[in-house]
Amino acid sequence: MSALIWLHEEALRASHPLFAASATPAKSVFIWDDAYMTAMGYGLKRRVFLYETLLELPVDIYAGDTLETLQTLATASQASQVFAGATPNPRLNAILDALPDTLKVTRVADEAFVDLPEPENLRRFFKYWNKAKKLAFQPNGRR
Amino acid sequence: METQPKTFTDRDALINHVRALSPSLSPDDVSVSDTRGGRQAGQNLLGKIDPIAYGHSRNYLGGAVSYLSPYIRHGIISLNEVRNFALEAAPEDEPIRPIEKFVQELAWRDFWQRVYQQNPDWIWQDVETYKTGFAPDDYSDTLPDDIETAQTDCAAINHFITSLKTTGYLHNHARMYLAAYIVHWRRVKWQAGAHFFLAHLLDGDPASNNLSFQWVASTFSNKPYFFNLENLQKFAHPQAPCAEADNLALAGSYDQLAARLFPYGVSS
Repeated sequence: MSALIWLHEEALRASHPLFAASATPAKSVFIWDDAYMTAMGYGLKRRVFLYETLLELPVDIYAGDTLETLQTLATASQASQVFAGATPNPRLNAILDALPDTLKVTRVADEAFVDLPEPENLRRFFKYWNKAKKLAFQPNGRR
Repeated sequence: METQPKTFTDRDALINHVRALSPSLSPDDVSVSDTRGGRQAGQNLLGKIDPIAYGHSRNYLGGAVSYLSPYIRHGIISLNEVRNFALEAAPEDEPIRPIEKFVQELAWRDFWQRVYQQNPDWIWQDVETYKTGFAPDDYSDTLPDDIETAQTDCAAINHFITSLKTTGYLHNHARMYLAAYIVHWRRVKWQAGAHFFLAHLLDGDPASNNLSFQWVASTFSNKPYFFNLENLQKFAHPQAPCAEADNLALAGSYDQLAARLFPYGVSS
């Protein structure tokens, strides 16, 4: 069985940990979803910027509804797993949540800015910064 | 399934293809930024950053900013990479202070993403009440046409709107000026301004953009952010037209403007 790497708009980098996450050969895809981009409010400027970015990436571009296209591609490539960049974006997470149970979904976090546990009740920047600044000036954000 | 092309004869051909793949785009949406997508373009900018000069000049519209934000926004370059690059620029005998403001600005992005992760509902909802003396219903739901078309009575504001719409970029200070003008001078809901910015900014991010708008509006801060013409002239001249005669609505002391913009008083 193979795997599918879904490269969404928040992980457009060949060095993203996503590409190293699959133990089996994986096909990487980007889904050009007009309805999604409209829902995000993206105009022509942003869309051109995104497409130009895709040209340099090891990814096949498909056009269509993201959820439907991912399922079609997973079936066609006999994939049992989908890897995607972890994101706070609820629209992207809803797509991952809607994939059938037959596909194991793995959300892969990007390299961290600071290796800091999630502070509780984030509200004001300087409360976060007081905890983060000791790590922020270390290479890779780690001691 | 058919894959989409990855080679084009020129940029116009790519733009035409993007348009063909985007039937929902308005025919009026014709602007394309000179800023190119792709990691190579981002790395070229990364090689030019000057974190120390940034610390001295970041608030000026002509300051040494990095222009990396669209690349960071889409994961093309990671915050970690940029920070590690900045660390290399710091003097060995003083590794933190000269680059502190630059790294702190990167941390703002990390902070907004963490807030987004914890509270996705905050992106379009008032996190707190307005501290402006006004209720949410006192603000308009829609952006006035003269803002959309850069025909307000303030030349500097029109300049920022035109830059936003044609380049997909605004300096952070210009974003704050324009956001404050929309919310406080024109009493428009921050959500309408946030939609407008997201439609045009190449780096527009729901968390950074909307929560910053809420910071300006005071629904995610202790007080409203506003500015006066003197401040604008200090930081935006000569990049924007700042003559008083062309920006009368922005003129006055902070006390005078507060009395005009927030006649019922600012709460905390």
